[in-house]
Amino acid sequence: MSDQHTVDAPLTGDQVAWDVLVSRFTGPLWSAVRAYGLSPADAADAVQGTWLRLVESLHTIRDPDRIGPWLFTTAKREAFLLSRRNRGERLIADPGDAEHARFDPADAGHVHSDPALTVLTADEGRRLWQAVEEMHEPCRSLFRLMATAPDAGVHQLAGRLDMPSGSYGPTRGRCLNRLRTMLTAREATP
Amino acid sequence: MTRHPPTIDDESLIAALRLASGHDPVPAHVSDAARAVFGLRLPGAATARPVATPAPSGVRYSEETRLLKFTAADLTVELEVTSLDGLVALAGQVSPCPEAGTLVEIRTLHLTQSRELSPTGQFAVTGLPPGWFSVVCHRPEHAPVATSWTRIRP
Repeated sequence: MSDQHTVDAPLTGDQVAWDVLVSRFTGPLWSAVRAYGLSPADAADAVQGTWLRLVESLHTIRDPDRIGPWLFTTAKREAFLLSRRNRGERLIADPGDAEHARFDPADAGHVHSDPALTVLTADEGRRLWQAVEEMHEPCRSLFRLMATAPDAGVHQLAGRLDMPSGSYGPTRGRCLNRLRTMLTAREATP
Repeated sequence: MTRHPPTIDDESLIAALRLASGHDPVPAHVSDAARAVFGLRLPGAATARPVATPAPSGVRYSEETRLLKFTAADLTVELEVTSLDGLVALAGQVSPCPEAGTLVEIRTLHLTQSRELSPTGQFAVTGLPPGWFSVVCHRPEHAPVATSWTRIRP
């Protein structure tokens, strides 16, 4: 990999190399945690927490190629915990949570992580949206709206799609399944 | 190379769509904070990991108080975290009680405060900004022990 050096260097204490890592991954990490419905403030916390866990665990990461997947697995974990804890608790102290305590970041590289985001190029992004444009309604409008209004609530989204609020979640699930199927079919027939 | 494996979860697919649409770019302050995080690394430090704490019995804790416990090989750090007027206060107990001259650093993304441990291994700090924090115990002639970064939001 051409950026082997830049990914490797933070392990040995190089701020410039760390900055390269931050430039490369912070945008995708932001999108990854925002997809859990986090507000901008919570998403900022989740992304910061992810980088803090990396700095805490640098010495446990032997293979620099694992840093990308490690970051995404960790970010998704932070975002999941945050989105769950936002529902009901005022003071949030995550690591007191037993589930969190069981999570060993050193193992994160082996957990299912998301290669799609780590390698999402402009070309692949275009292909992804090309697939959306080929979809029927309401999926096409739903995805467009979801992308352009990341902070809109379910009521607002459902209203703009002209569907009852209770239908938004299930419809979104069906549309995501359909998109997944289309993408898988494309992979099978290059 | 499989770019979109069938196992890709909903959140990852949504994230990829949003990332490609460019409508929700990462704010500059988030990237700035991520760069600054590198200055917080502690080479050679041991990490004290969180352990679940049972709900205290017989003591009525307010909604704004949480008990946290972190353990490393030879050290336990217990914290009582209180939130008041949007700021965070920590009262801590390090055990077994380290020797005299042990310093405790309470680190956040924005500021670090130092406290000398009391003879019984206690320390306290008030007025911390909400967000991520870590407590580092510096014992003479030992590697530092740092509690795993923890997020507190009132």
